[in-house]
Amino acid sequence: MNLSNFLEDYNSNPTVWDEMCLKGDIRQHYQLFFDYFQRSSGEEIEKKDELAKKLFMSQGITFTVYSSGEGIEKIFPFDLIPRIITGSEWEHIEAGIKQRLKALNIFLRDVYHDQFIIKDGIVPAALINSCPNFLREMVGVEVPFGIYTHIAGIDLIRDSDGSFYVLEDNLRTPSGVSYMLENRNMTYRLFPGLMPKNGVRSVKDYPDLLLKNLLSLANSQKSEPTVVLLTPGIFNSAYFEHTTLARLMGIELVEGRDLVVDNAKVFMKTTAGLKQVDVIYRRVDDEFLDPLVFNSESILGVSGLYHAYRKGNVAIVNAMGNGVADDKAIYTFVPQMIKYYLNEEPILKTVPTYSMDDPEHFNHVFKDVDKMVIKQTNGSGGYGMLMGHSATETQVVEYKSEVIKNPRQFIAQPIISLSSVPCYINGKIQPRRVDLRPFALYGPQGIEIVPGGLTRVALREGSLVVNSSQGGGSKDTWVLM
Amino acid sequence: MLSRVADAVFWTARYMERTDNILRMLRTNYIASQDEILEFDWRPWVKQYGPPDDKSQIEIVSYRDVINYLILSRQHDASVFSFIVRARENARSVQDFITKELWQCLNDYYHLIRSPHTEQLLLNDDPLTAMDSLLRESTIYYGTVDTTMGRGEGYTFINLGKFVERSLQSLDLLSMKLETLPKGASEASHWKYLLYSLSGYEFHGKYYKNSLHTHDVIHQLLFNPQFPHSVLYSLIQTERYFKRLGPISLPDHFKEIEFAVGKAVNDLKYSLVDCKDVDNLQELFKTSRQQVLTIGQKLATLYFGYS
Repeated sequence: MNLSNFLEDYNSNPTVWDEMCLKGDIRQHYQLFFDYFQRSSGEEIEKKDELAKKLFMSQGITFTVYSSGEGIEKIFPFDLIPRIITGSEWEHIEAGIKQRLKALNIFLRDVYHDQFIIKDGIVPAALINSCPNFLREMVGVEVPFGIYTHIAGIDLIRDSDGSFYVLEDNLRTPSGVSYMLENRNMTYRLFPGLMPKNGVRSVKDYPDLLLKNLLSLANSQKSEPTVVLLTPGIFNSAYFEHTTLARLMGIELVEGRDLVVDNAKVFMKTTAGLKQVDVIYRRVDDEFLDPLVFNSESILGVSGLYHAYRKGNVAIVNAMGNGVADDKAIYTFVPQMIKYYLNEEPILKTVPTYSMDDPEHFNHVFKDVDKMVIKQTNGSGGYGMLMGHSATETQVVEYKSEVIKNPRQFIAQPIISLSSVPCYINGKIQPRRVDLRPFALYGPQGIEIVPGGLTRVALREGSLVVNSSQGGGSKDTWVLM
Repeated sequence: MLSRVADAVFWTARYMERTDNILRMLRTNYIASQDEILEFDWRPWVKQYGPPDDKSQIEIVSYRDVINYLILSRQHDASVFSFIVRARENARSVQDFITKELWQCLNDYYHLIRSPHTEQLLLNDDPLTAMDSLLRESTIYYGTVDTTMGRGEGYTFINLGKFVERSLQSLDLLSMKLETLPKGASEASHWKYLLYSLSGYEFHGKYYKNSLHTHDVIHQLLFNPQFPHSVLYSLIQTERYFKRLGPISLPDHFKEIEFAVGKAVNDLKYSLVDCKDVDNLQELFKTSRQQVLTIGQKLATLYFGYS
């Protein structure tokens, strides 16, 4: 097989923004990579694809599916062709995310303290009070440096005109950053020499930046603060990420059962007795963090943790109660927040969002349901949503009755087409739809974003769902100088 | 270090040591069985390495059944397969703590024992090729621990696990051999195979400078301070590594185990039992075994007790 004429078979949809092609021509920032591909034979690329799979397997970058008592190792689908972003596109994204995150962080501080934004009538009180992720326990709690959103993963998509939209703000425990790092490690083994030639910016500083931020949150009286990463354990699907981050930062990876609270201080159980913990980067959801305050059946958390947190004896990253800011119904108000708190125009666009508890919106959405996607306000993983264009009539009817039961928990958005990128599938280069999740770190010195992120790709032809639980994969993301 | 992590690396090392021992024994016995005129008696080995509570003793028709049962079986906890899965699960829960190389080595081992190719070799083709490649992974594991792990507490607990397990394995092996050995002409050849499995045959010739005598083999496996599989050697190493924990331990906890380890070493070292006195030897095995088990239990409560 020869790849030299693969462009002829590359049928990108003309109504979709393709990252590589513009009306049959190759965009300039893809040119070097494209030339490389044209010079390669089909066998070479096939070999690279196999090598990637083998490397993922032998490095244990896998998730385990348990069936009949025996674990089966699966690798997250990885596509070997990197997604390339130009320096100026990145500048725009970076500025947009920083602005957005700044506003969201002020919003969290405001909503848990004075609630000016409600008093000034920007965000309706009912919306906040009905949000299941608004934690009354956090009202009046002072968090270190007033930072709530230490780590954020903002999901971006590109509409048919190429402009970037924010699809979701993940402000609780966003995952995927280890794949950003591992995918990069994979690419330089698959395409030796190609990255320096293209001027790809490095992402390897991420763990250092994160550790620096975590350390700075500890009580300043302490010379050697103890930072830990709290994981739900080996059965969690993101366990690989937890171990990777703990190892890269050189901090302890703890489970709830390793920690104990005594006299409102948190300790970990070591071979030499108890040792105090100062900062917890937790990958356990709010609900499971402290069985005394939240879900009493949780065995993933630590009894008394909330009390220690309130007293300021331990810093928790991200802060508790962030779910109120990344709720999909609150999402609609982020542009207003940016104007209200920062007095700036939003840099990144927001997808028009209809709240289903508004009867007018409700009727409008179900009249044009084939152009809509309906989602749960606090759902994730691509579960529990209805893609209007591909749903059957019965599915729509069933979904509608669910919405009527609890309209506050649903929103609808017009379907945004998502840009496409070239992917290597079944020996051919084919366009598939992608989103982009850059990871932003908010520390006492400000917001930093490593140039890159996780590009998730919907591997099924025509699909718009990129979640790994729904047949999605990922690819390396190159941000050029 | 975290108690849970110490527990996990300790047990990873124990499982890997067990795996190595079983594979070595099976390998030599398999060769012996091919070389023998009479039917090789596998029953003592199945009893020795099979699950202790398995009442439904398997029916042994051929050596393939034994290999299947002791290496590949997913049905019980005492197969090589189960040990490797456990070792890897333990390592997985402390992946951030052990080196990436060590994790990858255990992961490769896991994929090797699961591969259809290995199964095909063991059950239908030449089992020796499969056992050799499994043992090579085992050797890589020892080397990887040695060359990549930092010399801190974790390394100490890995070595404690290794030597605690090794002393138990050697004690049990000797005890079983003395009980089941046919007396007479073939005795020496049985001991020879045992030494082969532990890479101790050449050592024997050099050290004892004699034709093979049972009591010399027993001495080698029990008391020889230079033979890496002897019980005394393993206990001395256990003591050596345990002492490293002194500066970081809670004093009371340290003292309690230091005493137990010291007693186990010295009771064996200064034992007056004659290597020709088989009855009293069994008594010595029993005492020693109990002492080693106590060390394990005390480590579990005083150092790994996290629940």
